[in-house]
Amino acid sequence: MRASGIRYLLGKGFENIWKNRMMAFASFCVLLISLLLVGLSVLVSINISSMIGGMEDKNEVIIYLQDDATDMEISELYGELCRMENIAEANFYSKEDAFEDMKASMSDAELLFDSLGEDNPLVDSYRVRVADISRIDETLARIGALQKIESISAPMDFVNVLMELRQIISIICAVIIFALIIISIVIIANTTKASVFSRRAEIQIMKYVGATNSFIRIPFFVEGMITGFLAGCGALAITWYGYDSLIDLLTGGTNVISIFGVSSVIQFKDVFVPVTVAYLASGTFFGALGTVFSTRKHLNV
Amino acid sequence: MIEMRDVSVVYSGGVDALHQVNLKINDGDFAFVVGPSGAGKSTMIKLILKEIDPSEGSIYVNGYNLNKLRRRRIPALRRTIGFVFQDFRLIPSMTVYENIAFVLRVVDAPPKYIKKRVPYVINLVGLEGKARNYPNELSGGEMQRVAIARALVNDPQLIIADEPTGNIDPEMSYEIMELLQSINEIGTTILMVTHEHSLVRQFGGRIININQGQVVFDEIVGGNLINES
Repeated sequence: MRASGIRYLLGKGFENIWKNRMMAFASFCVLLISLLLVGLSVLVSINISSMIGGMEDKNEVIIYLQDDATDMEISELYGELCRMENIAEANFYSKEDAFEDMKASMSDAELLFDSLGEDNPLVDSYRVRVADISRIDETLARIGALQKIESISAPMDFVNVLMELRQIISIICAVIIFALIIISIVIIANTTKASVFSRRAEIQIMKYVGATNSFIRIPFFVEGMITGFLAGCGALAITWYGYDSLIDLLTGGTNVISIFGVSSVIQFKDVFVPVTVAYLASGTFFGALGTVFSTRKHLNV
Repeated sequence: MIEMRDVSVVYSGGVDALHQVNLKINDGDFAFVVGPSGAGKSTMIKLILKEIDPSEGSIYVNGYNLNKLRRRRIPALRRTIGFVFQDFRLIPSMTVYENIAFVLRVVDAPPKYIKKRVPYVINLVGLEGKARNYPNELSGGEMQRVAIARALVNDPQLIIADEPTGNIDPEMSYEIMELLQSINEIGTTILMVTHEHSLVRQFGGRIININQGQVVFDEIVGGNLINES
C-alpha cells in the first residue's frame, strides 16, 4: 500500500471519532469506567496486601541462647543469623537488659527481685524479624539447627491468622477483579458492537466496491485505539487525583489510617509507572480489540 | 462478460431460488433483467458478486471463475464491477467527492489520479458544483447520479444496476437511463435489474425475464426510442 493510502486510513480513524462522536463518546465512557473499576480494585487490593505486609513485618521470633554460650559463640551466632536467608533483622537482647526490663515492668514485685539478689534467672537472646512469614517454618528449622540455642519462641498464632487473612483477601480480591474484567470486556464488546452496527451499511458499501477487510478494519482499529488510549489517560488522571486526595484525607490531620494501626499505605508516586502503563496499554488494547471482533460479523458480505 | 452454466441455488430452508440457469452476457451488452418479486433476480446478483455460492453449476465473471475464486480474492473481482443500488447507498458522512474518490482509494490509486479522475466523473454524470455537498443535500436523482459516478469511477468492465430508477420520479428515471446508455456506448457492460416494464419497453435492448428461478425469456427487443430513431 502507498504511503498516501496508509495516511488516508489513519486519518480516517481520527476523522471517524469526530464524525461519530456520540458513539465514540459512549465507547470512551464505557472504557473509562471499566478501566477505573478494575484499576481501583487492583489499587485497593495492593494496599490491603501492603497493610497485611506491614502487620507481618511486626513479627518477632525470640531465640533463647544456652546459658553457657561464650561471647565468641554469641557473636558467631549473630553472623550466622545475618547470613541466613529470610531473616530481615536480628538484634541481641542480653540477659541483663532483659532482667532490667522485667524489673521495670514489674515494679510492684520489688520484694521478689530483692530476694534474687545478684542472681539473674534469665538468658541471653536474639530477637529476629522474619522477612517472609509464609516461610517461617523452614526458617525456624534452620535456626533450630544452629549451635548454642536453648529454645525458640515464635508467634505462630499471629503468623497463622495473618497468613489465612492474606489468603482469604487475595482470593476475594482476585475474584472481584476477575469478575470486573469479565464485566468490562462484555460491556466494551457491546458498546463497540453498537458503534460498528450503526455503520454496518457503510461497511457493506465498502465491501461492494471491493475494499479488503483490512482496508475496512484499519480506520475502526485506529478509532478504537485512540478512544481506548484517551480513556486510559482519563482513568489515569481520575485515579491519580482521586487516590492522592483520599490518601491526603486519610493520612493528613487526624490520620485516620493510623487509628487502625496501619502505616503502610502505598503512595501513588510509588505505583505511577506500572499504573500508567497498565491503563494506557489496556485501554488501547481493549479499545482496538473490541473493533476487531465487532467488525468481523459485518465483513462477511 | 458474465457466463452462467447450469446454475442452481437452493437456500438452506429448501427454497429453490435459481434452477438450471444458463446465461451469457457479452462485453459491451446492455441487458435488462426483469421478473416478479422472488423470481431470483437478487440471487443472480448475489452470485455475480460472489456474495453467495451456487449449489450447482459454474459462473464466470470478467475472467474470474467464481467457483474457484478464494474469499480473499473477492475484492479483486468486485473492483471490476460497478454496483448501483436502488437506495443509492451513499456514505452519509462523506461528501459527493469523497463518496466517489473512496472507490479509488480502495484500489490504492495515486492521489494525483484521484484528483483528476473524480472531477471528470462528477462532470460526466452532470453534477458539476455538487462535489462538496453531502448526500442529504441532494435530490433522489442526484444521489443516483453520484451512485453511478461511484460505479463508474474505477472504469469497471461491468456495471450492475439494481432497480436504479426505483426510488426516483419518472423524469429523472429517463435521465438515469440515458446516462447508463451513454456509459454503455463507451464499452461498459450494463446489467440492469428492474420492475419498470414501461422503461424497458421505451429503451429496448436485451431483456432477460426470470420467473420462479428460471430464465423464461431472453431476447433483444427494439424499444420505442430505437424505433423512433
